[in-house]
Amino acid sequence: MPVTGGAPQAPPTPQPPGLNIVVLDPAHGGTDLGARGTGGIRESDIVLEFAAQVRGALEAQGFQVIQTRQGNANPSFDDRSAMANAQRGAIFVTLHIATTGVAGTARVYVMNDLPLAADSTGLIPWDRAQAPFLSLSRKLGDLVEGNLAQRFKGSPTFAQTASVRQLRTTAAPAIAVEVSSVTVEDRAELDHMAPGVADAIARGAAAFRPSYIVPTNPGERP
Amino acid sequence: MTPRWRLWFLVALVIAVAIAAIYLPILRRNIRQAAKLQQRSEEQARRELTQPTVINPGDPRVKAKLFWASGAADGTLAPVTVELPLSSDPVLRSKQVLNTLLAGPVDTEARTLPPDAALLAFYLLPDGTAISDFSEALATSTPSGIESEQMAADSLTKTLEANVPQIRRLKILIHGQEVETLAGHLDLSQPFIVSSNPAPMPRASAPAQVPEQQKLTPVAAPVKLTAPPNQP
Repeated sequence: MPVTGGAPQAPPTPQPPGLNIVVLDPAHGGTDLGARGTGGIRESDIVLEFAAQVRGALEAQGFQVIQTRQGNANPSFDDRSAMANAQRGAIFVTLHIATTGVAGTARVYVMNDLPLAADSTGLIPWDRAQAPFLSLSRKLGDLVEGNLAQRFKGSPTFAQTASVRQLRTTAAPAIAVEVSSVTVEDRAELDHMAPGVADAIARGAAAFRPSYIVPTNPGERP
Repeated sequence: MTPRWRLWFLVALVIAVAIAAIYLPILRRNIRQAAKLQQRSEEQARRELTQPTVINPGDPRVKAKLFWASGAADGTLAPVTVELPLSSDPVLRSKQVLNTLLAGPVDTEARTLPPDAALLAFYLLPDGTAISDFSEALATSTPSGIESEQMAADSLTKTLEANVPQIRRLKILIHGQEVETLAGHLDLSQPFIVSSNPAPMPRASAPAQVPEQQKLTPVAAPVKLTAPPNQP
């Protein structure tokens, strides 16, 4: 055993790491095709292609990206949330293509009000895991929506609230980005939007980074 | 054929072509209208079969507020005033307004719920929780997407809030079953908040009695729909 001279040095206090992980969720997949356009456009396919571009833009901003699905799989809502809930210092972005809305616009949704469960354990109930993160999600949502509105005229200026199933069980700042729409006649219209959507998400996440004090343990309240 | 007959023949042919050119678009339009009428009557028949309640001509006519799409691009809803005979019993009243909401507005573009969806059952618990059971079509025919599904749910909750003050929250079932989402996005596993400050339940909680001969009165009883007001 090595012998050291002098007083033992105290180990350095671990600094809480900042936000560096984005869990990216291309919605649907497998037998769940999501929204379908008359021209054969399928939400489950398009979001996977959007995710590739969003991933690139996020990695360029220094984020590590975890995707909930790579191919034509369809993890459950809970499985997708679990990937984010197991991380420390992650945000969650779920990607969707709508049936409705003005083509060429994009909206960000955050979960609407969820009552905080009063418990003494400090643990977050799974079925309302998003509750303690609502204000952070709104901040992230507004930052991303602001960037989307600059690129896609007619998009809202701020994030909207909706009761999105995927967001409810996610214990992290979480947003849903929905692009309009699968009803475009030419799929190229959606393809042209992908770089702008990717850049807006990456810039919004980067702007959000300093404001998020990451919890010490995964699943902890912020 | 002599040149004269040939001329007559050509003239007749030109006239026939001209008549056909005028008549064909009219014929096509008539066929489309007939198809639409048939589709509507099928919808109506289905609605009458599945909604054997609840208009009671004896109920006082009141101005009900129903929420359909405003027509704006931002996916908002707008109230439309409809004069309806509404029961004072909260369950019957809820059925009346929801069935009228499902029947849809004059402007079909403003519809928020699928035309083939039907309300199968409606219950109201003493704590103000309403449980509405819709046919499968609500899930299969609502356009998939966060915006469209939230609009569908909002039109139900806002309409109930405006017309049935006793309701605190609304739980939506599809064909008697609890489902995870409406059409892939909107969370149906939790109830929706209708009112944070509901009115107390009426003392007589038993459903209002409807005369036997009126129980099968379809909802198709004429209702007068007014145009949406110019407000967001």
